[in-house]
Amino acid sequence: MTANTLTDRYVWAAARSVPEAQRDELERELRERIGDASDALVEQGRTPADAEHAALTALGDPAALAAEYVGRPLQLIGPRYFLVWWRLLKFLLAVVLPIAVAAVTLGQLLSGADVDEVIGSAVAGAFSIAVHLGFWTTLVFAILERTPAAAGQRGIDLEWKPEMLPQIAEDGRTNRLVDLVASLVLLGIFGVLLVMQQFGLPWVDALSSMPLLDPALWSFWLPYFLVLIVLEAAFAVAVYLRGWTWGLAGANLVLGAAWVVPGLWLYATGQLFNPAALEAVGWPWGDAGEVIAPIAVVVVIAGAAWDVIEGFIKAARSQQRITAA
Amino acid sequence: MNTDETTAGHLQELRRGTVVLACLVRLRTPDYGYALLESLNALGILVDANTLYPLLRRLEKQGLLTSEWNTDEARPRKFYRTSPTGVELADTLMTDWRRIDDALAGLTDGDES
Repeated sequence: MTANTLTDRYVWAAARSVPEAQRDELERELRERIGDASDALVEQGRTPADAEHAALTALGDPAALAAEYVGRPLQLIGPRYFLVWWRLLKFLLAVVLPIAVAAVTLGQLLSGADVDEVIGSAVAGAFSIAVHLGFWTTLVFAILERTPAAAGQRGIDLEWKPEMLPQIAEDGRTNRLVDLVASLVLLGIFGVLLVMQQFGLPWVDALSSMPLLDPALWSFWLPYFLVLIVLEAAFAVAVYLRGWTWGLAGANLVLGAAWVVPGLWLYATGQLFNPAALEAVGWPWGDAGEVIAPIAVVVVIAGAAWDVIEGFIKAARSQQRITAA
Repeated sequence: MNTDETTAGHLQELRRGTVVLACLVRLRTPDYGYALLESLNALGILVDANTLYPLLRRLEKQGLLTSEWNTDEARPRKFYRTSPTGVELADTLMTDWRRIDDALAGLTDGDES
């Protein structure tokens, strides 16, 4: 027999992971249990070494046994916190991730990075932010799982109430999904155009390497419009999630004004377009300019006004539905 | 095979509480883990060592069993004994066990008639 038997090693492996105060007791209990189990096997005709081996195999992993002994959880996040963890993680990924990626992208665009560089850092940023969100959230909950709640308390998990039931997705929601996708795609295209025009419009010969908008606007107004695009995207998500409400219709009014008022002002004061670009396309096109310009202004104002009115109409309709239901 | 697993699972669930009851009744005479395991299995109350030892500790923590180390022999052994609270609980559990048995008997009779 070597100095340390398998039993000694097993007892040591199990005892080292329990608090000092419980160690002696666990050691004695284990030695009794292993001894009795092997003795029984020896009585059945097994050799002592064989019996000891079989008894330890039956006991299983000493770390698991010790964890059970002190009531330590053997899972990272147990049923008590799993749902809170899962809901929070989904929420963070759905809200923080897009905002952070949008911010990274905007920063890259403003610093004048190439398109492939912008896409690359957006993808890399999204990945690393997602990993961070997942890791830190999970770490906090894993620690909570190992922190005993005060007696009679449930820890941080909220008691579930019927009021927390989600609204059944009515037909409106499927329609709103279409609206959401359309809005996000349009906003994306618009944002890309706003940036790309700086490098010229390849499909217009005269402007193939010339900014359409006045490059001086990069000092404030173009970044401002890019931020507005991000806000509009957030707004579209809010409408999708909550349906049209009076508050959202009001926000739509503010957002609409935030586009149209500076846009028209810049146009009226001649700051909107790049003078070189206007010259390149030969603007104003004879007498046509006098007609086209006012029509364009009227169309922009009417379009914006209709969008605002439509928001209030939709809000009124969905309020009606709620009262009727 | 799947049916066997289902059966085994349900049997295990049905027996879980009865092992507690059996321990509380049996340990009115003090005894140590392995002897208890043997005697329960000899009586046909089938229980695994990996279930029984943690159960004894849990019942002790709940104050239903008391324990004492016996060092008279070469191998020290922890002797468990049912506490007064444990005896009370055993009575309650036993009453309920009989009530369920009667109720199930009533159901079965109803089937046959």
